[in-house]
Amino acid sequence: MNNNVEQQLADEKTHIASITAPEELEMRLRNALNSAPAKRTKRIASIWKIAAVVLLVTVISGQNYNAFAYYGKQLFGFDELLNGTTLQQLNEKGMGQNVNKKTTLVDGTELTINGIMADANQFIMYYTLTNPNGLEDMSVDAFRPSKISGFLTDSNVISGTSLINEEHTEIKGQMSFDRVNPFSKKLTLHFWQQLEENGQMSEGTVAFPYNPNEAMETQIKQSINKKIKVDKGTITFKSITATPTMTVIKGKLDVDNFDRVNLGLHGVQLIVNGTPVEILGSGNQTSLGGRTFEIRFDTLPTELHSMQLVVKEFTGYQKLDGKYSLISISDKLFLLGDKELWVKNVSKTSQGIEITIATDDDVMLDGVSIGTNNENTPLKTTINQKETKQVDGKLMKERTLLFDTQTEPESLLIEGMHYLKAYNKVIEIPVD
Amino acid sequence: MDVARWVKKAKKGNKEALLHLIMSEKDVYYRLAFSYMRNTHDAMDAMEEMIVTLYEKIGQLKKEEAFYSWSKTILVNVCKQLLHKRGKLVLLEDWSNVDDSELDQAVSSDPYRRSEQQMDIEALLLQVNEHQREAIQLKYFHDLDYQTIADITKVSLGTVKSRIYHGLQTLKNHYRGDVDEQ
Repeated sequence: MNNNVEQQLADEKTHIASITAPEELEMRLRNALNSAPAKRTKRIASIWKIAAVVLLVTVISGQNYNAFAYYGKQLFGFDELLNGTTLQQLNEKGMGQNVNKKTTLVDGTELTINGIMADANQFIMYYTLTNPNGLEDMSVDAFRPSKISGFLTDSNVISGTSLINEEHTEIKGQMSFDRVNPFSKKLTLHFWQQLEENGQMSEGTVAFPYNPNEAMETQIKQSINKKIKVDKGTITFKSITATPTMTVIKGKLDVDNFDRVNLGLHGVQLIVNGTPVEILGSGNQTSLGGRTFEIRFDTLPTELHSMQLVVKEFTGYQKLDGKYSLISISDKLFLLGDKELWVKNVSKTSQGIEITIATDDDVMLDGVSIGTNNENTPLKTTINQKETKQVDGKLMKERTLLFDTQTEPESLLIEGMHYLKAYNKVIEIPVD
Repeated sequence: MDVARWVKKAKKGNKEALLHLIMSEKDVYYRLAFSYMRNTHDAMDAMEEMIVTLYEKIGQLKKEEAFYSWSKTILVNVCKQLLHKRGKLVLLEDWSNVDDSELDQAVSSDPYRRSEQQMDIEALLLQVNEHQREAIQLKYFHDLDYQTIADITKVSLGTVKSRIYHGLQTLKNHYRGDVDEQ
């Protein structure tokens, strides 16, 4: 026997080093991960805690009649914006423009527009707020940018992020706007600020020069003009514009039930050279001409071999015309297609009959009523919607259906459901 | 692509990136899990739990480069929780009860020689207390640095160093004793 302790330990180490992971490990880990719920909200919560990051998602309002929904870049790209990969790299390459324009807000805070970065997809402003007397942790009201105006330019705020220092005397932030017109030489930032006395807001402006020649060049701009048929209409993909800061797909939605499912556009993938490009956000706008949309993706790699748009999942509709018995139940499971419907409780209150149900997160029922042999009562309203986590970690959407009747129902009638349906339809985008 | 870039991707919720990070060091993780759980099945369970925990908590990881030591800390915690939950904290004294065929499956070398060598090292390690034993195993069998061991065992750097030092001293004394008696 070798009587040297270190030698013995080393022998055992060599021995342990011969242990290898079983083949099925990868599959098991992948399955475990895939059953983990997506964690967008949680993630934001932890970022709040760690960095005391102030997050602004500004929904355009006021004079604009457009219904504008935007799921901003910052929700996904926090690290990217502040610890910076893309933008940082672009900045290092000198793609930004220094502005260093100062102005003083009504409460004495000094606003500096440090620099900007622009391309055909967006306009990004970097700014600093300083006040030696201290700034509010969430200076949302003290300084709220609304838009940038200029020659043929009226660019609304899309989103922004900012970070406060430990002494609470300085906020550094970044805010992106819609693109500005390439012929504008002077831009004006419009912002709202809090008046001290009565909590009212006043509008302030600050003008700064802009050199459109220093805007970053567009890498790709080409039309797609392809239609994809979905259950309740068509999606038309019109164009793709790739710039150094992001890639934008634009198109038109002619889909009746588009807004029945959350984040419906997030099932569209942009596959470049065989790998999906990360989605940064999506938005849609309704105006007289119909509903247009845009999906924002991360930047494209420099070498392009192939490009595809894949409608992996999108809002779908399934006709059910189902009748589900409500007699003697608690926690009863029905299958709607391959989706689960749990009927958790049926009760009679002064408001009427209340039925609490839970379904997958993406399921929205259509044409719901309850009935006895003699009569049917249509759904009056839905209350108390919440997300609940099941024992197996799956997120379910729970809500209570309210029916305006006092008659004990025998069955639940459902005409159909809107849900996130797998389409897996592919559009090839030619690359030169 | 370097670790930091994969970690950044994983932080944005990219599951494949996280999986890639783990799979590129899969044997190291598996050995660590195996040495706590003592069988293939439980080791893989622990790794499943680890990857889900990593996915949930990766936003809290500040230094991307620290991913590997951080994730190993989490793996060991998961292992300890599982052992605790199942109420079968395997002490070294009980190692003889471990299903030898499991070990044989896990290692490629000669099973006969294997068990002999294993008994030697087990007998040897029984001479030190469990804290010293864990620290020695992590350092000498799994090549972890002092700081990672300190994180895993939730004690200070100094404590880890002294545990390993004193543990090794004890082992050496014990050995000398044996030899002297012969």
